[in-house]
Amino acid sequence: MAGAEQRVVAVIMVGGPTKGTRFRPLSLNVPKPLFPLAGQPMVHHPISACRRIPNLAQIYLIGFYEEREFALYVSSISNELRIPVRYLREDKPHGSAGGLYSFRDYIMEDSPSHIVLLNCDVCSSFPLPDMLEAHKKYGGMGTLLVNKVSAESANQFGELVADPDTNELLHYTEKPETFVSDLINCGVYIFTPNIFNAIEDVLKQKKDRANLRRVSSFEALQSATKALPADFVRLDQDILSPLAGKKELYTYQTLDFWEQIKTPGMSLRCSGLYLSQFRRTSPHLLASGDGKRTATIVGDVYIHPSAKVHPTSKIGPNVSISANARVGAGARLINCIILDDVEIMENAVVIHSIVGWKSSIGKWSRVQAIHLGEGDHNAKLGITILGEAVDVEDEVVVVNSIVLPNKTLNVSVQEEIIL
Amino acid sequence: MKALILVGGFGTRLRPLTLSFPKPLVDFANKPMILHQIEALKEVGVTEVVLAINYRPEVMINFLKDFEDKLGITITCSQETEPLGTAGPLALARDKLADGSGEPFFVLNSDVISEYPFAELIEFHKRHGGEATIMVTKVDEPSKYGVVVMEEASGRVERFVEKPKIFVGNKINAGIYLLNPSVLERIELRPTSIEKEVFPKIAADQQLYAMVLPGFWMDVGQPRDYITGLRLYLDSLKKKSAARLATGAHVVGNVLVHESAKIGEGCLIGPDVAIGPGCAVDDGVRLSRCTVMRGVRIKKHACISNSIIGWHSTVGQWARIENMTILGEDVHVCDEVYSNGGVVLPHKEIKSSILKPEIVM
Repeated sequence: MAGAEQRVVAVIMVGGPTKGTRFRPLSLNVPKPLFPLAGQPMVHHPISACRRIPNLAQIYLIGFYEEREFALYVSSISNELRIPVRYLREDKPHGSAGGLYSFRDYIMEDSPSHIVLLNCDVCSSFPLPDMLEAHKKYGGMGTLLVNKVSAESANQFGELVADPDTNELLHYTEKPETFVSDLINCGVYIFTPNIFNAIEDVLKQKKDRANLRRVSSFEALQSATKALPADFVRLDQDILSPLAGKKELYTYQTLDFWEQIKTPGMSLRCSGLYLSQFRRTSPHLLASGDGKRTATIVGDVYIHPSAKVHPTSKIGPNVSISANARVGAGARLINCIILDDVEIMENAVVIHSIVGWKSSIGKWSRVQAIHLGEGDHNAKLGITILGEAVDVEDEVVVVNSIVLPNKTLNVSVQEEIIL
Repeated sequence: MKALILVGGFGTRLRPLTLSFPKPLVDFANKPMILHQIEALKEVGVTEVVLAINYRPEVMINFLKDFEDKLGITITCSQETEPLGTAGPLALARDKLADGSGEPFFVLNSDVISEYPFAELIEFHKRHGGEATIMVTKVDEPSKYGVVVMEEASGRVERFVEKPKIFVGNKINAGIYLLNPSVLERIELRPTSIEKEVFPKIAADQQLYAMVLPGFWMDVGQPRDYITGLRLYLDSLKKKSAARLATGAHVVGNVLVHESAKIGEGCLIGPDVAIGPGCAVDDGVRLSRCTVMRGVRIKKHACISNSIIGWHSTVGQWARIENMTILGEDVHVCDEVYSNGGVVLPHKEIKSSILKPEIVM
């Protein structure tokens, strides 16, 4: 049923500062959603994907960061993409569904027919237009993006079971201890405004139960598990799980790449995934060169227009170089993210690492992560990370280490965290 | 009189504590480190203190306003745009330090905790009439530091020897100076070392004198020294104003407890413990040689030694925390967990034991 104006509002959950410590030490300097992947802030990728949705009216970013952390970004991206983007700050934790509910007035301002909800720290091709079409055909309240993963890794996520013919969501469990399914929840959803009714019902149930607890003093003494406040509603456990199998929720499977960006190691990997996506969708964004007048480029490489890279250096595969960085003669960069204002001196080597803003890498020095045995790569995806303003002196070797901001390394280090 | 306190940079050696507060505001014996020095300076008549920093002053400004009002002393910041070393900041702040009165001014290193015998220092400085006085302290292993070689009787400094290979003396620079304004003319506004460039020249002119620091001295810029420093500080407090220390059946040795902290039944606290404002120590807790910062909750039967527990953290029941464990701000150690030297960054929950010293990010 094609309505006259099927407006869509997108909501991207960006999280907050004290919640995820897994992104340290990079998160000590920048909010994770603004950390650059393939040359663009992390949140830029879902925002660009939303832009492809027809009749997109508004994008909201909701999170716990201070407004000023997002003010600049939000105004510049609104301008650039010509779409209203607004950051809304949650005053206190309400859970993933509770947060959405607390901003329902803003979201419903444009009377959207559909609401797209995404997690910012998800790396995906975000096939939103196709997913929206599928959602309309299913006619349910919500559609989840799902992905097939290896059975061993499935229990890190929400595992779900879907009907192979109707694609209905039959069963959903968050991080189960035993194997349920190798199909997992990607953290990308499309809802009709009825979702707010569903959340309201859950809130009412919780309130009733809370009142009951107050009356029964034995319940009040129980503190074995942290009692969640009555207005805390989690999307997965409180909405998706109970509604599975009731012909309200459906699934749409992505056949493209999908990863969660929880650690700096994953961010490097996801940066590579987005770079290879650029190769397909916008190759003009990637660098090219053959070593004659510009540096030798191997594989997918992004170089910010203001960065200076010496023609005798060799860059790639999977390298992102940010604004005003300088790469000296004879340098070699492989699988790394070089942030703003970094200076890499002559003949230096950087492999499997992230080099923080304003750092400097001395001549003939080597900043690297090495892993013996392919198997371990998934487990920790260890990379070497240099925080903001770290100076690695000439000829120093830094292997498998993490260095916090404002340090100078004048001796080589291996397998260390340097505070 | 004026004073300059060299606060310096990022305090990376005191991480994870300095991830939450700039180093001068990290509490030592229940008071921000820099407040110890500012109070001692106020007592000898210093009316203006300049803080030489090369880090964001915004965080400090609010706290400083508070101290200014409470103490009735002017506190300003002198911010370096590039690191100026140990002497450069004096040149940067020259207008504030040389006010035309001709009076000498103090220069202190912010990491130093001592008895701050400033009145005696002023006396000594007037008596010898030289251009500059530095305080020196006796150490057991002088070769680790820069040694000050001086004439025993007068205290006149002959020379400095950096990390000497043979024994030339056992007095080192304690980081407390009293300087005449004329010293400012010897310092250019560029990265300069006061020990390597400025003092040797003054010594050559026979104008530099050294006074041996009576009492204790400690550079508390890193956790191990912070803990030793607390022991020395409480020792000294016992001699000077024993009334401030805690007493009772549950107290052993020198213990400082803030008046707003609550301690339960059956605890044994001490020696060398400082418990900060608003802390709650439940029944049956054993604390020794540790610092417990503002707002910390230590649950029943826990045992903590040789460690620093950061602001608003909690330590679970029967937890055992020892061997230079440093918990940053808002760290929660679950019940029954053992930490042997864990260094934990702010806002973490520790659910499993840490068997050997490691950093938890």
